[in-house]
Amino acid sequence: MLAALPSILIGGILQGGIYALGAFGLSIIFGVQHILNVAHGDVLMLGGLLTYWLVTARGLSPFQAFFIVLPLFFLAGVLLQRVLIRPIASKSPHEFLIASILVTLGVSLAVSDITSASMTQPVSVTYPLPTLQVAGLAFSSVRLLFLAMILALTGAVHLFLQRTFLGRGIRAVIQNREGAMLVGVNIPRVSTVTFGVGTALTAAAGTLYVVLLPVDPHMGIPLTMKYLAIVVLGGVGNLVGALSGSMILGLAESLVGFTLGAEWSLTVAFFLLVAILLVRPRGLFG
Amino acid sequence: MRRPARAALAGLALLVLAALPWFVSTYLVTFLYLALTTVALAQSYDWVGGHLGYLNLGQAAFFGIGAYAGGVLLSKALPLPVAFAAAVAAPALFAAAIAVPFFRLRGAYFALATFGLVALMELLASNLEGLTGGALGLSLPPGNRLMPAYYLTLVEVALIVGITVWVNRSRYGLALRGIQDDEEAAGAFGVSALRVKCAVLVASAAVAGLTGGIYGWYITFLTPPAVFGLDKALGPIVMAMLGGSGTVAGPFVGAAFLNVVEEVLRVKVGAYVLTAYGIILILVGLFLPNGIARHPVWRRLFGAAPAA
Repeated sequence: MLAALPSILIGGILQGGIYALGAFGLSIIFGVQHILNVAHGDVLMLGGLLTYWLVTARGLSPFQAFFIVLPLFFLAGVLLQRVLIRPIASKSPHEFLIASILVTLGVSLAVSDITSASMTQPVSVTYPLPTLQVAGLAFSSVRLLFLAMILALTGAVHLFLQRTFLGRGIRAVIQNREGAMLVGVNIPRVSTVTFGVGTALTAAAGTLYVVLLPVDPHMGIPLTMKYLAIVVLGGVGNLVGALSGSMILGLAESLVGFTLGAEWSLTVAFFLLVAILLVRPRGLFG
Repeated sequence: MRRPARAALAGLALLVLAALPWFVSTYLVTFLYLALTTVALAQSYDWVGGHLGYLNLGQAAFFGIGAYAGGVLLSKALPLPVAFAAAVAAPALFAAAIAVPFFRLRGAYFALATFGLVALMELLASNLEGLTGGALGLSLPPGNRLMPAYYLTLVEVALIVGITVWVNRSRYGLALRGIQDDEEAAGAFGVSALRVKCAVLVASAAVAGLTGGIYGWYITFLTPPAVFGLDKALGPIVMAMLGGSGTVAGPFVGAAFLNVVEEVLRVKVGAYVLTAYGIILILVGLFLPNGIARHPVWRRLFGAAPAA
């Protein structure tokens, strides 16, 4: 146990970092519009598949693919929001909740069905880089590089939310929708941009995911559940909370997987989700 | 339609459904049985989801607990009534245990927690191999039980509809609508909201559990995805929403529509069943979030919505 601890911790932190990118996305989407976006996990899957295609068919490196996936999925998210979410946005909260579940569930089912019909087995990208030896411990340099990218992207999202006009608008809407409206925040525009940013971040997480782990068409909804667990754990619209929630989940999964066996690591997310909601109905940091 | 006309229509439908197995193929009876199962789940979901206004995405957890509770006892060669009693009691007790903490949550958070519950149950069922047989499945004593399962579920559905109509007209139904509209106001008028909510959730769980117990007895083989899977978890809820949540006719309309669509797609097209299903969900979400049964066209045709 003790000898394996560093690699368990690093594995957990990296997994948490990959969760974090998608969790930021869902956190601001849920915070701004209260959409239960069931298709969020499928976005990561699609980001992973696009990366796989770019790497295997176009010969790009995953890092080049990263910068193609990010803007492309921003546009896809904007389009999705304009076509499917905006038309239902004017309904009463309860109706909107139901309609948003129906619509995003429909997207999720269609996406996973079409992708599973066009591929026979889970895909993965191999991108070998030399391992680093630090203080007698072996570190995969791909993982460390990814961790750095995740940190950089987290910083960028933080600056976007804190410093830009649009980012402030997003935070204002999350804090107080009516208040934001009163001071002139363009809510439809903020909602659309939020959906685009959230989708792009999640797809980018897919690029990293497909290099580390296989991506398969049916991973969408379980992944959405994990994201929802993280968002609930961290509090809605709270970047630090989402990051902490992701790390807690990543580490807990890694530890439980090691001590109880891999088949139990999946239960951690759902157990945490239910348990934390019951103790703190508005999230651990919310 | 007036009240007697509606009662006559319901009686006629019941008679037709009761007589049908004597005239049609086994294939069609199987289809009807599975459709009735979804109706029972959709209607029992709707007690909490439609009438109480709490979006319970975890109805499949109760269905699956019922199926496994009955299944485990049957596989240990206990008599059928004991197994069915367990299929009712286990999910009801489970619901009673989770009701108080879960009802502290509202809106999307309640939906989330209940959705997580199904995933948790599926994972528990596959990991607790000693009890459930794990991912390899649980075998029940074999036998052809299509006919008894069909009639049991038909009786169950008839009872559910009777209870729904009766509750809607009673003071209890008024309390449910009060809680849905404004829980605090209902409380101010002397409704013990928590007690009502708990009772409704337990009743809903008991019905879903019985449906699961009968299903397990019929199918004779249980696997975690077969009872806790996404289609089982969301199908009935989507049916209730599609038909019209909070109405008596809604779950029937939705279940009939979606079951037929799904079967036709499966038989005629073969591929892309879930894609078509997904597109239907998107269209319903965009254009009919209140459901088919609440569409104004019925009011024009019959003078009153079947909902009313």
